[in-house]
Amino acid sequence: MNSGYTQLTALFADDSRAAKAILTLRDTGWSVADVHGPIPSEAISKALGVKKSMVGWFTLLGGVMGFFLGYFLAVFTATRWDLMVSGKPVLSYVPFFIVGFEFTILFAVFGNVLGLILLARLPAYQDLPHRVTRCASDRFGVVVDCDVSKQQELQAILTQLGAEVPEESATGGES
Amino acid sequence: MEKLSFQEIDNTVAATLEPPGRFYWGVVGLLFCGVLVGAFCWGWQIMVGIGAGGQNSPVNWGTYLINFVFWVGIAHSGTLISAILYLLRAQWRNPIARAAETMTVFAVCTAGLFPFIHLGRVWMVYYMLPVPNQRTLWPNFQSPLMFDVVAISTYLIVSVLFWYTGMLPDLAIIRDRATGVRKKVFSVLSLGWTGRYEHWRHYTRGYLLFAALATPLVISVHSVVSWDFALGVIPGWHTTIFAPYFVAGAIHSGLAMVLTLMIPMRKIFRAERIITMHVLESVAKTIVFTGLIVGFAYGTEYFIAWYSQNTVEMEVFSFRSTGGFALSYWIMVVCNSLVPLLFFFKRIRTHIFWLFGISIVVNIGMWFERFVIIISSVSHDFLPNAWGQYAPTAIEYGIMLGSFSLFFFLYFLFVKHLPAISMTEMKELQHQETAHE
Repeated sequence: MNSGYTQLTALFADDSRAAKAILTLRDTGWSVADVHGPIPSEAISKALGVKKSMVGWFTLLGGVMGFFLGYFLAVFTATRWDLMVSGKPVLSYVPFFIVGFEFTILFAVFGNVLGLILLARLPAYQDLPHRVTRCASDRFGVVVDCDVSKQQELQAILTQLGAEVPEESATGGES
Repeated sequence: MEKLSFQEIDNTVAATLEPPGRFYWGVVGLLFCGVLVGAFCWGWQIMVGIGAGGQNSPVNWGTYLINFVFWVGIAHSGTLISAILYLLRAQWRNPIARAAETMTVFAVCTAGLFPFIHLGRVWMVYYMLPVPNQRTLWPNFQSPLMFDVVAISTYLIVSVLFWYTGMLPDLAIIRDRATGVRKKVFSVLSLGWTGRYEHWRHYTRGYLLFAALATPLVISVHSVVSWDFALGVIPGWHTTIFAPYFVAGAIHSGLAMVLTLMIPMRKIFRAERIITMHVLESVAKTIVFTGLIVGFAYGTEYFIAWYSQNTVEMEVFSFRSTGGFALSYWIMVVCNSLVPLLFFFKRIRTHIFWLFGISIVVNIGMWFERFVIIISSVSHDFLPNAWGQYAPTAIEYGIMLGSFSLFFFLYFLFVKHLPAISMTEMKELQHQETAHE
């Protein structure tokens, strides 16, 4: 972004208005930089056109690894007791599935958490300059890029779309 | 449900985190004393040996295992509410999901202490870990006790991660409202959550998968606990009904504990508009359902003992209801199967006094269920000359008091320091209801 640019955060009381605003802004050539909200919203996700998260692949990979790890741990430890008791085989494959199952869940969850952390880029301790704290609580915030000279024009459009534009959000965003 | 604004939800939950008064610290102090009593008794047992407890031949498994199974059971309904009901889209779960998840975490922690306590020589605990002992022998995963170690450890880790992940958006709200050191602490805990849609995109997917994974896990964990018994040849234990019977019993006791915890909490924190009577009534209805399953299981055990015409099996079940521990058996039947049927009456299941009272009765009944299963079988097995009696010693009572104190101590600390009601899930609930209007 050039030094002549800034960002405005438009606050909406409900997600359907925020979604409508996102679509309108995009259609009229404005660039929506980010959207914040207190709850997930399907309407906003659709308006943003976001794709399905890839977290599931991490979960799947973790689960598959976990199953083999658990199963082979049980097999390996059984071979350390290389003594046949009551005619039962040293390697009892069926009960080992229980260990395999528990490890599947455990490592799938590890994969899930890892995927979430990596894809959402958490932890992220540096606060965003355009973030309005109400967006974590009760407002949906649409952050719009704009040229400083067009700030008033954008503000008017946003107000027309039913948004509140807090004063503090008009600062920052320069880079 | 009464319409609440997002701001009202935040304010109600944030109010629960206001600095507590003397009464709160008095109760916490009292519970801590209970924890110290338990710690002293355990310390005493470590010093003088496992004989300090009353477990001896033929009853080698006593209150330590009873309490272990009891607390694992309590833990189960937390996952039922947070994961299974989430997948089923049961909206009444939202106001109590966080508290139930927390109950799960602390109950598993409490349960996890009992294998350590029962070891006697607690420093030998590494025999249960997948590492070789001093004879270079590894643990053998053909034993159900080793299944149990894996299952409970997995359950603890998964429950903690599920609980913490679910709390991230709420921790961010508290962070934004806090100042000073508190703000710094919550900034670290919330991992810099900002509610960006990029965050929500991965979070919602991850949370759904968490629920999908926790559901089979919760069923497997108590099944594995039941196999600690069912894979033995002891009459009264060696039965295929144990896994579903234990899972239903676990959920039965856990739901009762949810009521026991929620009813005072909504009163103390004036959260009646969030934890509504409809929510409590829904828990009560589920208790009727699980109570019927448990009652059916009690009947099935007797039927199978009779139908098999196995002398030993028939003798054990006759002993359960008429022998030395008959009082425990009838407490179990009345408290778990008959008393919850009172919830069929709307007047009872919508009255705070009855809801709270019956929840306590079910908790007592479920403790006795574990007593009956464990004690009546091992005290009266195959050889009449080896039959015996059992009574817990003062040390065991002390450890039991310590375990209950520890659970409530941790829970009391939690409700005043972290959001005990999920603000995000309450907002989602309100949002869905508005959308449907």
